[in-house]
Amino acid sequence: MKLLNSRLISPKRCFLLLLIALPLVSLLGLMTGPVFIPLSDILAIIFSGGGGGGGANSQEKLIVEIIRLPRVVLSLLVGALLATCGALLQGLFRNPLADPALIGVSAGASVGASLVIVFGSMLTANGLLLGLSAISVGAFAGAIITSVIIFRLATGPQGTSVATMLLAGIAISALAGAATNTLSYLADNDMLRRISLWQMGNLQGASWDRVGLCAVTSGFLGLLIPREAGALNAMLLGESEARHLGVNVEWLKRRLIIYSALGVAISVAVAGVIAFVGLMIPHVIRLLVGPDHRALLPLSALAGAILLVAADALARVVITPAELPVGVVTALLGAPFFLWLLVVQRRRT
Amino acid sequence: MLKIDSVGLGISAVPLLKNITIDCPRGSVTALMGPNGAGKTSLLKVISGEHKASEGRVEINRQSREEWKPADIAQFMAVLPQSSTLEFAFTSEEVVALGRTPHATGTVRDAEIITAALAKVDASYLALRSFVQLSGGEKQRVQLARVLAQIWEHCEGDASTDGILLLDEPSAAFDLAHQLMLIDIVRQISTRGVTVVMVMHDLNLAAKCADQMVFMNCGHCTAVGTVTELLTPELIHKVFSVDAEVITHPVQGTPMVVV
Repeated sequence: MKLLNSRLISPKRCFLLLLIALPLVSLLGLMTGPVFIPLSDILAIIFSGGGGGGGANSQEKLIVEIIRLPRVVLSLLVGALLATCGALLQGLFRNPLADPALIGVSAGASVGASLVIVFGSMLTANGLLLGLSAISVGAFAGAIITSVIIFRLATGPQGTSVATMLLAGIAISALAGAATNTLSYLADNDMLRRISLWQMGNLQGASWDRVGLCAVTSGFLGLLIPREAGALNAMLLGESEARHLGVNVEWLKRRLIIYSALGVAISVAVAGVIAFVGLMIPHVIRLLVGPDHRALLPLSALAGAILLVAADALARVVITPAELPVGVVTALLGAPFFLWLLVVQRRRT
Repeated sequence: MLKIDSVGLGISAVPLLKNITIDCPRGSVTALMGPNGAGKTSLLKVISGEHKASEGRVEINRQSREEWKPADIAQFMAVLPQSSTLEFAFTSEEVVALGRTPHATGTVRDAEIITAALAKVDASYLALRSFVQLSGGEKQRVQLARVLAQIWEHCEGDASTDGILLLDEPSAAFDLAHQLMLIDIVRQISTRGVTVVMVMHDLNLAAKCADQMVFMNCGHCTAVGTVTELLTPELIHKVFSVDAEVITHPVQGTPMVVV
């Protein structure tokens, strides 16, 4: 009977492995960068707290506390948010290929960010809001506005049509892409560089303020999202089947759309567009432990966090002293992996 | 238990259902029959709450269909759709476990029910197989186990309320042995108080378990009655436009349609 089991690994074991990997990868993230800091110094700095810092010199201490630690924590949170929102959207659309970019949220965020970059030069000089630059605020607004537009377009007297939402998302993405391109065309060289860098995603702007904002959002979503796991499982059978199983499908859809729009908007606001985490991570976890959301959601959050910290560490060392945008690294890792997955799946069926 | 009172349904200009009245008492088996597009599935969807009747009303347990909350009605009413669109690689066991979503009976009890439900539909050997890789008939059996698990207490006759089971062409993908298995299950749970309404195409199969037959055509209810009342060459010709003979089963004595 064991041989017939279609699962590669039990959720418990997967959870344990990820839980071990998380601190290891985080330490690696703290060590790597233009200045290499040995593990012993990292541990000394972390465990000394405000004290002397053991063998670490004050420069290392400064790098870890002000630059690397917030950056690693932010990567963890953004990775977890993106992967969880990806899992939610794939459940909602009953399509394992759904992704935050698909419903136009990322494209809307790009328009918002580009608008601020091109027309808001006077705003950027005026300081920050909750640790967010004006660009981030623009991205957040863009993401939320597109989510609302798409949701309204897809909602009729018979409820919200997931298929319409998908099509509306594609159309709005195209429209937003045109808007972003127009803005790029109008932009001067410096603006153009900032727009394209922002679209590739990066965690350079990490600060404790941003970490705080992300942590509050993650905590809020982390409390609410696990409650939907059972209903999401029922939704995979189909909307009417879920209704017959006692799920209030209309309200469930609304809640899921709000959660994922909020999660994606916040992560895009603090880190730009980071591709593939939301698409790839839930997909891989599903292959390993199966589609049960009670395991899928927490495992995706963990794996997403690990992937983004690792990708960001890689982004910092590949072309030192410069750094690669982290979105490029996730896409470089993600796209070939995804193609491999498609080939394997085709062979299976 | 279930009352359908002069129900009409018009989604577009052409009405899908017109003036349908059927009474399904507790523990009865009702077979909805008729040619393609007669409105059988639409009627089932009005009962299950997917469509709202534009005329008349559906009453479940002396309460209007619209007044039932999804979470409350899911406690005692299960619905098996015509086909499944599940594309995620749940194991069969997990699919059946989804039937326990409305209940909070605990994992131990649920596991017992899941095992028993799979055994009941002759699918124990599929428990750990990936649902997406099963054949059509196997999928349908696992889905049947899922809806039985949802109202398991009712099917076993140890629930305080009465259960309702709606089946849309449950036997379409089944081989002969499993068609008979379905009939046995339906008969067994109805004697334990579950009210069954099912859409069926096979007249002889329906004759084996239905207390009441409903012939539908073009959204109208042509005839309602017992199996012997409805299985006549005249009515069959009127509804299905087919010339058929009705003979008596040599052993069981039930009417049989021969074409």
